[in-house]
Amino acid sequence: MAMKLNANARISIGIAAAFAVVIAVLLAVNAAGSDDNTPAPAAGASADVDKHERLVRPDSHKLDVAADNKVTFVEFLDFECESCRAAFPAVEQLRKDYAGKVTFVVRYFPIPSHFNAERAARAVEAASKQGKFEQMYQKMYETQTEWGEQQVPADERFRGFAKDFGLDLAAFDKAYNDPATLERIKRDVADGEALGVTGTPTFFLNGSKIQPESLADLTASVDAALK
Amino acid sequence: MPPSSSAARGTAYREWPSLEAPGPFPRLLPWLLLIGGAIGLLAASVLTVEKIAILRDPTYVPSCSINPVLSCGSVMTKPQAEAFGFPNPLLGIAGFAIVASIGAALLAGAAFRRWFWLGLQAGATFGVVFVHWLIFQSLYRIGALCPYCMAVWTVTIAIFWYVTLHNLNRYLPAPPTLSLITRYHGVVLTAWTVLLLALIGEQFWSYWRTLP
Repeated sequence: MAMKLNANARISIGIAAAFAVVIAVLLAVNAAGSDDNTPAPAAGASADVDKHERLVRPDSHKLDVAADNKVTFVEFLDFECESCRAAFPAVEQLRKDYAGKVTFVVRYFPIPSHFNAERAARAVEAASKQGKFEQMYQKMYETQTEWGEQQVPADERFRGFAKDFGLDLAAFDKAYNDPATLERIKRDVADGEALGVTGTPTFFLNGSKIQPESLADLTASVDAALK
Repeated sequence: MPPSSSAARGTAYREWPSLEAPGPFPRLLPWLLLIGGAIGLLAASVLTVEKIAILRDPTYVPSCSINPVLSCGSVMTKPQAEAFGFPNPLLGIAGFAIVASIGAALLAGAAFRRWFWLGLQAGATFGVVFVHWLIFQSLYRIGALCPYCMAVWTVTIAIFWYVTLHNLNRYLPAPPTLSLITRYHGVVLTAWTVLLLALIGEQFWSYWRTLP
């Protein structure tokens, strides 16, 4: 019996060890691959420049632009994220209160566990090609409860939004399905990851990550930045 | 571990279970039921307490994270967390308390009749089916992991496996490969675990690879 038990234990340990080795190899291969893609940022000033470039790219969508360009508010968001929807009214209020004083930038950060988040980002990006970024962005949060948290593709619903806005549907479809649109979203995600974004919503005010818990927190941070 | 008592298979003990027919895992099974039941009970209790805390503060919306363990809305706020119309952990508290008690009773020298073992089999089978449904929901519908839930998955699978082996060796129609799978009980359990870990690893790979 001792022999048999040993065989049982040996094979069990063997399977577990083989699995551990496979995972370790896969992780190592991945780490090696990602090293090539993201060289370590140089120290000092160039790291700072790098950070500011990453926060607001030339193609990043700006909801509002401050005349003096003094305060920039960047949000990494996911259109299917419940807490982003919870933050949406506060951000809208903030935009109203600080119109013309603060630049509001939106960056895409769809989270993989949200089934329609990437689709939503593609729809917003496709709408932006026809000048309807803000409308589609707002529409996503206003309707999130109707299509969020479901495992069925929401393409038709998003297309319906485009139709409601009177967009050129052929052009919308083309942009929605264009690999370049997805690449554009993935560049935002890559910037977010490089900036240390691990979840949504993540806010940066003049380059510093802030963690507001209410509209009052947001207002206080923006007021401090404007001083 | 003493030899498996396939010789004890017969009809005599069906009417009068005795300590002479201890089943294939006379020491492992009672301890597994006691300790596994206790772990499950503890995890289910923690989940119940957390559920109450969430109910007290319904406005709380945690941020969405690429970390599946901290993912938004936590697993507990999802409809799947109340599969039968009440919080799942309440089932766990009742079920695991019974399992732990049976383990303690066996350690104290208790012997149970066939119907009692089959009752435990029914409960363990329900538990293991339910747990796999939860695993599927967690991985492919909710897209998040919860550490206490995973503790429950683990002990439920182990309890089911050894209760089933015990009952197959004594009370249930034995498949032809029974002696083989009884001998290699640990291999089956390890393969089962590795398969689940592989599914978890695959589903959340985009996150794991961000961990340097």
